[in-house]
Amino acid sequence: MVELDHSFTTGRPAEDAWAAMLDLDRLIPCVQGGKVVERTSPEAAKAEIRVKMGAMSMTFAGTVEVVERDDAARRARLRVKAREVGGQGHANADVAFHVSDGGGTIHTAAQITGKAASMGEGVVQTVLDGLITDFTRRLQAV
Amino acid sequence: MAIDPGTYTLGPDDGTLTVRTGRTGAASKAGHDLVIEVTSWRATLELPDGAGEAALALTADSRSLRVREGSGGMTALGDDDKANIEQTIEDEVLGAGAIVFRSRRVEPAPGGALRIEGELDLLGTSRPVAFELGAGADGRIAGRARLRQTNWRIKPYSALFGTLKVADEVEVAVDARLPAPTPHAERRSPRRDHRG
Repeated sequence: MVELDHSFTTGRPAEDAWAAMLDLDRLIPCVQGGKVVERTSPEAAKAEIRVKMGAMSMTFAGTVEVVERDDAARRARLRVKAREVGGQGHANADVAFHVSDGGGTIHTAAQITGKAASMGEGVVQTVLDGLITDFTRRLQAV
Repeated sequence: MAIDPGTYTLGPDDGTLTVRTGRTGAASKAGHDLVIEVTSWRATLELPDGAGEAALALTADSRSLRVREGSGGMTALGDDDKANIEQTIEDEVLGAGAIVFRSRRVEPAPGGALRIEGELDLLGTSRPVAFELGAGADGRIAGRARLRQTNWRIKPYSALFGTLKVADEVEVAVDARLPAPTPHAERRSPRRDHRG
């Protein structure tokens, strides 16, 4: 299990950012290579992420679901369950958001198995850190 | 073995011009070391008999690079992967254009080899390059040079949020069968031709 903490800035009131971040159609494309395949409910979506590794890429397909939300505190927890397309690997994560005026924080607890995990936990952590840091930059535009 | 005087014109029919790349970064295990062949190139080696200066000139098409081998990585490179790399080289690394090397000095080196110094022009940036070109008894010539991409203002390709990078230093190698020289009377002057 890899756990990471990040903060992000939005430059906007918490109320605006909160609404945007719980809109999966807007949130999921903020992950580089991520896209919504199908909205299955207001708080769930089938999605996939394509991670480019130079010439090659790995695609994970699965679900993203808002499993907890506290509108008053502006806290939410998303659960990501994905499987490597054409492979044996999995990428599962619990992502906890807290949105405040001007920005917020993200706590990610991820479990990666399969080929990607064979690079070692340190590498997985470094790559995930890069992915989430990139994600937080894109959140500013949501 | 020393190369006989004469003017030699070489290209892909005579041998290979290759670029070998390595990788670096925390996620380097995910990438591949590549052997890339330049499939469109032409070189002229001028070795005068007696007086006159020896010279080497080479031009190559940056769009003609083809991935021949990929070692390492988590899975083997397929044809689609190789095509992706070739497209990436054209789109993000080299662009489309001529690669030009012109010698400034060609001198004999031990064992019949030639010590060659010159300028390599890549993407409009010209930098000095020096290497030895050896000749074997089997009529083949071979040489290699190690180049740093950043010396030519090329940003080494990176992926996975910068955790997987192509190493800055690449090795360029030529290995060719020396063709019959052009008769002296028909020889053109490479120095004049290439310095125009």
